[in-house]
Amino acid sequence: MDRQIKTLQDKNSYLDIRKQERVTLLEVLDRVLTKGVVISGDIVISVADVDLVYLGLKVLLSSVETMERLRGAPMAGAQEEPT
Amino acid sequence: MTMNRIIETDSQEAFIKEIEKVQDVLPKRIDANPKNVEKGLAKLVLTLVELIRKLLEKQAMRRIEGGSLSDEEIERVGETLMKLENKMQELKEIFGLKDEELNLNLGPLGDLM
Amino acid sequence: MKIYAYGIIDSNSGMDEPLRELGEASVYNIPYRDIAVTVSELNDEAKEITDTYILEHERIVERLMEGFTVLPMRFLTVFNTKKDLLSMAEFYYEDFKDNLVRLRNKVEFGIKIIWPQDTIKQRIINAWNKSNHSLSIPADSKAKSFLKEKFKQQQIEKEFQEEANRCIAVVDDYFNKIACEKKLKRLQTENLLLNSSYLLEKQRQNDFKQAFEQLKSAPGDLKFLFSGPWPCYNFVTLTKKPSAVDYFNTEDMLNRLLAQQGLPERNAV
Repeated sequence: MDRQIKTLQDKNSYLDIRKQERVTLLEVLDRVLTKGVVISGDIVISVADVDLVYLGLKVLLSSVETMERLRGAPMAGAQEEPT
Repeated sequence: MTMNRIIETDSQEAFIKEIEKVQDVLPKRIDANPKNVEKGLAKLVLTLVELIRKLLEKQAMRRIEGGSLSDEEIERVGETLMKLENKMQELKEIFGLKDEELNLNLGPLGDLM
Repeated sequence: MKIYAYGIIDSNSGMDEPLRELGEASVYNIPYRDIAVTVSELNDEAKEITDTYILEHERIVERLMEGFTVLPMRFLTVFNTKKDLLSMAEFYYEDFKDNLVRLRNKVEFGIKIIWPQDTIKQRIINAWNKSNHSLSIPADSKAKSFLKEKFKQQQIEKEFQEEANRCIAVVDDYFNKIACEKKLKRLQTENLLLNSSYLLEKQRQNDFKQAFEQLKSAPGDLKFLFSGPWPCYNFVTLTKKPSAVDYFNTEDMLNRLLAQQGLPERNAV
């Protein structure tokens, strides 16, 4: 009986940590994605890299599960490239 | 790793839900995918149409409240606004757009609607 | 080798201790007159961006904050060459200087508030139903019923917006005197009543936290998210607007044009 409770507590604290990480990430994103020194124009970011980079961001923000998958296997964020 | 920054809340899930709704993460970029271009244009056009429609509704309501329209005119205005609303609903469904998507961010001026 | 920029700092000396890296490149400063851009090199492989990068970027900016005034760059500001980066610094130099002066010793705090919008809407609807303020036309046709309902919706929405403004004013009251500047985003969603950023002097952090604790203990069914101190993301204002011409110094542009025509560069050795 004791062991079962322990597992449930562990699960809840695990979820709490996950949620806290998610909140932290969202708070950071709320600032770094659109605020600060925003420079636009031709000299910033070379075109070829952008799609992949943006793709990564899109994958990143879709769900916690996706995030975990990425964290576990760096090249595994495989999404179809926009055709 | 020293981080003296704190992030505290009593309701993680509630905030995760709301902030995710808000974050439109991709900086605007013209996507060559034709489907997306179509949707992007539809969004822009429908946003403007919605703006006009809402303004019309407000204007009409003011005039009706003010009592300056005849019964027949009120009837016609009502019919027209009803049809407009239904039409917009149809169009939104066709393009798979939600109400919240039909808005434009005007930077320092805030959102259009 | 592309150059990834983290922020603009108010010093052109080197860094006393090397900060940790983004990927494997170390972080260093590229000085321009009396300021510098803090950067690291990005190798040409396009990288999969994970939350680690984002948090690492933020961590580096926050480390900078410990020693300098920082204007944080938006995430993923990358330059093709050092020359481009210096052109940018030249272009925005006055803006950067103004901001560095204004933001010296200041930090940003954020408070987000969720309110029970459905309860509040319901309260407004109930009050409205009791009140008899409906549109004074007979409901004798579909069109007229539509109008009556539309009128009701508009009035309720109006009251809802006003209630939001009242609520936000009450909240802001706690922080107004402590903060130098503020940015309030109201009702980004129906539930997210407020997404606020306050700029305050470093030494007033405790006052600000205390004011927040007071707010939290006040009666009301609100949910709070408090975060900070942050680099001053929401308070960087650039007044210069670029047009294509401004980015390149004329010498550079002229040489490019000449090259296009197959002519030798000016001052070519």
